[in-house]
Amino acid sequence: MDIVFSQYAWFAPLFPLAAFAVLTAMGRGLRTTGAWVATIASLLSFVLSLLIAIERLGDSAEDYTGRIEWLRAGSIVLHAGYEVTNLTALMLIIVTLVALLVNIYSLGYMKDDERISVFFGYVALFTASMLGLVLADNLLTLYICWELVGVCSFLLIGFWFRKPEARAAAKKAFIVTRIGDLGLLIAILLLYWNMPNHELDFTSFYNVFHSQSGLISTSLTTLIALLIFLGAVGKSGQFPLHVWLPDAMEGPTPISALIHAATMVAAGVYLVVRTFDIFAASDAALTTVAVVGAFTAIFAASVGLAQNDIKRILAYSTVSQLGYMMLALGAGSTTAGMFHLFTHAFFKALLFLAAGSVIHAVHTQDIREMGGLGRRMKITAWTFGIGALALSGIPPFAGFWSKDAVLAAALDDSPWLFAVGLAAAFFTALYMARLFFLVFMGKARGDARAYAHAKESPLVMTLPLLVLAVFSVAAGFVETPWNEWLGSWLTDGEEKGSFSSMVVISSIGASLLGLYLGWLFYGRTSAGRNPVAERLPWLTRLLERKYYVDELYELAFVRPLAKLGRGLSRFDEAVVDGAVRLVGSSVQAAGKLNTRLQSGQVQAYALYGVLGAVILILAIAGRRFW
Amino acid sequence: MFNFNIEFNGEFFAFFLLAVCAIVGAVLAINFTKVVHTALSLAFTFVSLAGIYVLLEAEFVAFVQVLIYVGAVTILMIFGIMMTKHQDEGKERTRPLLEGLAAVGCICLFGILFYAIRSASFPEPADKLPADNTMSLGKLLYSAYAIPFELVSVLLTVAFIGAVALAKREPEEKEGGPS
Amino acid sequence: MTMLSSYLTLAAVLFCIGLYGVITKRNAVIVLLSIELMLNAVNLNLIAFSKYGINASLRGQVFSLFTMTVAAAEAAVGIAVLISLYRRRVTVNVDEFDELRR
Repeated sequence: MDIVFSQYAWFAPLFPLAAFAVLTAMGRGLRTTGAWVATIASLLSFVLSLLIAIERLGDSAEDYTGRIEWLRAGSIVLHAGYEVTNLTALMLIIVTLVALLVNIYSLGYMKDDERISVFFGYVALFTASMLGLVLADNLLTLYICWELVGVCSFLLIGFWFRKPEARAAAKKAFIVTRIGDLGLLIAILLLYWNMPNHELDFTSFYNVFHSQSGLISTSLTTLIALLIFLGAVGKSGQFPLHVWLPDAMEGPTPISALIHAATMVAAGVYLVVRTFDIFAASDAALTTVAVVGAFTAIFAASVGLAQNDIKRILAYSTVSQLGYMMLALGAGSTTAGMFHLFTHAFFKALLFLAAGSVIHAVHTQDIREMGGLGRRMKITAWTFGIGALALSGIPPFAGFWSKDAVLAAALDDSPWLFAVGLAAAFFTALYMARLFFLVFMGKARGDARAYAHAKESPLVMTLPLLVLAVFSVAAGFVETPWNEWLGSWLTDGEEKGSFSSMVVISSIGASLLGLYLGWLFYGRTSAGRNPVAERLPWLTRLLERKYYVDELYELAFVRPLAKLGRGLSRFDEAVVDGAVRLVGSSVQAAGKLNTRLQSGQVQAYALYGVLGAVILILAIAGRRFW
Repeated sequence: MFNFNIEFNGEFFAFFLLAVCAIVGAVLAINFTKVVHTALSLAFTFVSLAGIYVLLEAEFVAFVQVLIYVGAVTILMIFGIMMTKHQDEGKERTRPLLEGLAAVGCICLFGILFYAIRSASFPEPADKLPADNTMSLGKLLYSAYAIPFELVSVLLTVAFIGAVALAKREPEEKEGGPS
Repeated sequence: MTMLSSYLTLAAVLFCIGLYGVITKRNAVIVLLSIELMLNAVNLNLIAFSKYGINASLRGQVFSLFTMTVAAAEAAVGIAVLISLYRRRVTVNVDEFDELRR
């Protein structure tokens, strides 16, 4: 099959980038027109991605790599390039589809915002950088785009910068992810020094690490893998760097859907998949990935149980699901990880957009003040329900298939990981049931007037919900126990899924149990009493405070660092600035002294002459004394 | 390092006495507040120096020293003092920085000179001065140094004419110049 | 050892005293007198070397005679300048003459 569209893959990030440039240049004059420009750009990217994906569906499609020489310094050559593989094509579809739908959704959601063109400009820039990240054929290009998406995330979290919480959240996100980025940077540097010919592209990684050629020692491999994983931990909100993601929900809801649920946070998972050859060469690294993923999954799911902010619950759910993906990768199954990434992108974007629709209608984010909205907002409720079922892992929704794939991979690796994953699945179903019942069922608990005014969102907002709902139902069928198409397509048939009926049954059981308990606690008693909270107040408190991780960080890092910063600032003011001032004032003093010297009095000049002569004599003749 | 082995002969005592006189005169000249006292004290120094010249077998120079310095220069200075007002004597503003630095500079200079003098080795003179050296000096001046001698006389004449021209009163004041 | 170094030391002392006077004294007449003192110190050196120098001869005395002549001329011109200045500024304080600064 001829490769046609893959050659032009680099156009995919170019469209949104051009849109960003236009929006930045034209500024506020465009308003709605600008929003349409960005939307059309993302549509073009989506169409191109679709064509590429269709082209790649053929069995014999070759990987296509295009690269240019970027920098040359002596013998060092740095390349920038793009690579189209099946994995890339899959990610392209995910990113452009979600970006397109979020753009459409934002046309309605952000309609009344003053800075709508700025918002769409940022989104376009983000889309461009994310596509660049996906397409990058080497780690350096990837790293640049990696940082760019981080910047966009920072800008968009702090989009409503008049809110102090938004400012704080933006800073927190930027600083926390920076810890991970540093790890990634060090990993890149290590690779640069140790790879033959200083190659940084993924094909070379495959050649070096996959063949176990022994060019790089095992301990060094482990170190590099762990540092790369540190980058993924930061970006994908894994424990212990997860703290920024829930706070990032201060940004506009479409952003939460696009960046902090579907695409950017998945970049960490994608990075691990992309460099999986390195991880595969080190058992220790794989174990670390699996353990961190499993722990994050159950940790975040349990925190999600006790939150009251609709977006925060979803955020913790995202963290938990990302943990799932990491768990799958750590268990050695890139297929399961990517599969879950794929389905999760759809149903989590759906959930966020539906939540945004709810927030749009009732202007609050506290689920305790909602309730009964299902009767007023039918489409939102139905699509949210589909998303919730998909997330909970109820067949035949997409989440069920991917979660099963993850759990099966975990069981292959270790029964403990499987057990943790199962528990996390139970928690997931529980908090989704709680969320759904509290928001959409029962009686309205909040402001009666707000409830009366709550109405279904316009079509531009519900249309993306419907599209995503379709995908949430259907996306799972690309990889089922009887049809392992995705796995063979992604990995050229190297990986085989391992489904067992035990996994399926226990997973469905856990999910159903969670849903039932959720209905029992929150659905049946519509008053919103919380029986668990009444029995175990300390546990609820622990969960509400998110295991005191934020407080711990505050105590362990933020305060000492702030103190250090203040100390350094004082040092800067006193010593550095003091030195600068000293130079300035000493020159001034020297100038003043010189004017004093030029007194015009002959005797003073005579004195200088004498002193100068003395000094001269001492300097010339007195040398022999020392 | 310094040679202080000095013979205590007559020349030394005479030198010592005259040197003390000269230095005391100079120091007093610096310390007096009245200008006239200073001038007179310096005249004393000049006389002492003339005595030292005699010790150095330069009788003619000593004679000229007394004539020019004590007789002419000092008197000239006293005339200068008389022709200018010195009403603010003794209540002068002090300039401690200038004076301190000048003292440091001068002491340093003296230290350097003293070190140089004391560390230099002066060999014994190869020949002695002629016994009747005033006559020899006259012969020398009018033979070997005749042209410089004449030039100096011209210089002196020009200088005095210039001095008269400078010190002359302005034309509208219609009065002759001073000495 | 000759007396030469003693004479030279005396000359150095007088020179330095003269220098100090030139720098610190405010009265122009005393400054001129101090210059005379310095010139005298130089003369003393010349004459001391004429007797005790390695080639003792009368040339040092001849030179000192010339120096005295020039010193006399200098004193005359100096006093003339001083009087001329005094007519303009009605002062002989050296520190009030700061024309060099302008």
